[in-house]
Amino acid sequence: MHRETMKRELTITGELIDESVLVSKRRMSGGMGATVYFTGVVRSDEEGKSIRAIEYEAFQRMAERQFELIFQEIEKRWPIESVRLVHRIGVVKVNEPSLWVEVIAPHRDEAFAACQFLIDEMKRVVPIWKKPLVGSIS
Amino acid sequence: MQVTVRFYSYFKDLTGCAETTETVPERSTIADLLGKLSARFPKLGAMQKSTLIAVGVEYQGRDYVLKTGEDVSLFPPVQGG
Repeated sequence: MHRETMKRELTITGELIDESVLVSKRRMSGGMGATVYFTGVVRSDEEGKSIRAIEYEAFQRMAERQFELIFQEIEKRWPIESVRLVHRIGVVKVNEPSLWVEVIAPHRDEAFAACQFLIDEMKRVVPIWKKPLVGSIS
Repeated sequence: MQVTVRFYSYFKDLTGCAETTETVPERSTIADLLGKLSARFPKLGAMQKSTLIAVGVEYQGRDYVLKTGEDVSLFPPVQGG
């Protein structure tokens, strides 16, 4: 059976991640039964220190290339209809999302597996770095 | 031949710059380039074991043979998410 090419949408942005807007733009074909969402949020402590934010830096062109390689690997391994990913760069405050992922698939097994793989691989190879900004907001 | 070298994350602090050029002999490898950069930027040299290297937008190993005008990026382990 011919499988359609997996749709992918990557956004690396300094803008706030608006999860409700992103979810409202979900598109699923009739054969899809699972959507997995992951949101990565900045915690208030990093390596035992209280922080107010994290500053993210990306080598953007290479990040785009490495994400594409990950998407290609996902497409080889699982029957995923689409992946959307948003990663913030710049200063992201505590409790704000730094990462948002949506994976759509026929069933939950492959949706969860692809999402886990995407995040694990991102943390291994995508050139994005974080710098904790120390001190709490009083 | 000349190559452009870019630094990311705290490697910019270690070198005092985001970008530089380096002149290396023809057929030099990334290992050769790292040797020259370590001499120029000793604090960077101390990070050699954990340094990741890209040429263009692809990861390369230390035995990669450089070509003139290539763009080499050096950075610490990545931390996305």
